[in-house]
Amino acid sequence: MLDSIDMLEAIGQDASLRYATAEALATDSSLEDAPEALKAAILSGARSELSSELGHRVMQATQVTQNPGKEDDDEDEDDDKEGSSLGHNGLKASNG
Amino acid sequence: MTLGSHLTPLARSHIQQADVVFAAVSDNIVEMWLERMHPDVRSLQPYYGEGKPRIDTYREWVEVMMAEVRAGKRVCGVFYGHPGIFAWSPHKVIEVARWEGYEARMEPGISAEDCLYADLGIDPGTFGCQHVEASQLLFYERSIDTTGHVVLWQIGMLGNRSVANPDQGSAYRGLLVERLLQDYPGEHEVILYRCATLPIEHPRIRRLHLCELPLADIQQEETLIIPPARPLRRNELLRQRLAMLDKEHAA
Repeated sequence: MLDSIDMLEAIGQDASLRYATAEALATDSSLEDAPEALKAAILSGARSELSSELGHRVMQATQVTQNPGKEDDDEDEDDDKEGSSLGHNGLKASNG
Repeated sequence: MTLGSHLTPLARSHIQQADVVFAAVSDNIVEMWLERMHPDVRSLQPYYGEGKPRIDTYREWVEVMMAEVRAGKRVCGVFYGHPGIFAWSPHKVIEVARWEGYEARMEPGISAEDCLYADLGIDPGTFGCQHVEASQLLFYERSIDTTGHVVLWQIGMLGNRSVANPDQGSAYRGLLVERLLQDYPGEHEVILYRCATLPIEHPRIRRLHLCELPLADIQQEETLIIPPARPLRRNELLRQRLAMLDKEHAA
């Protein structure tokens, strides 16, 4: 059985579901077995309805890196001198 | 970015092929979605602290990721939107990894900037589009081009270097508006925008007058878009020189 995370992913990947009206989405056959919390969130437009199933955690949503101070810039320059040449594996930064 | 909609196939592949995944995403549901893709997803959120300078947190992120790289692991850092936009750590950790001789790369993602062009119907090619982190207008002397769109990022975090007092409020925004009034009339219409994170949400779009900004309820993820206030002015001198060049090429 799919839970709300699976169904949110499915909605996000389906062109007809992604832009369906709340009423059409909540009654779509593909969401027939959707958790009640998800159906309530769709109909009310309030993501807070999902917290009963998925919990709620306050997240820091914004990386504030450009409000500067010269002291930060100086520290960055110091950091640049710290690296050493080692190893070979890899590191990737991806969008999430 | 929107859950389910905006993760590229290549980014998903990097996540799935990594030994360890570090996550700095904006939403706990997005983080749970990410955990479905990999058994070892480590949230970077706990490194934030009230009163702790954000730059310290971001340096720690670089260190914890590099510790795994140095241990021989394939490491993937997942950041919301585009990992290279308004994000210090992804650029820094790649720089450090390369400095130390490791292979490292960044995959582009769909950012709030991409979403706002679509949701607001703005084409940056029409009048141009200037992007500035909002606090920079307070910290530095910046010139604003009022003939194009101006996008002020992180207006909800104005002047905030820590996670305490996330909205330092109307006084800070009042100062920003005071600066903007040097270039715009107070009744100029501006737009507060936030893209949808969940696919059951809609983008949040609010239009208000510039002078109303200090008292507006602004969330930390919101962005301010200032539409053009003046028409483009013809540059007659350069037009004449272009015409002369055209004649020379035609001869």
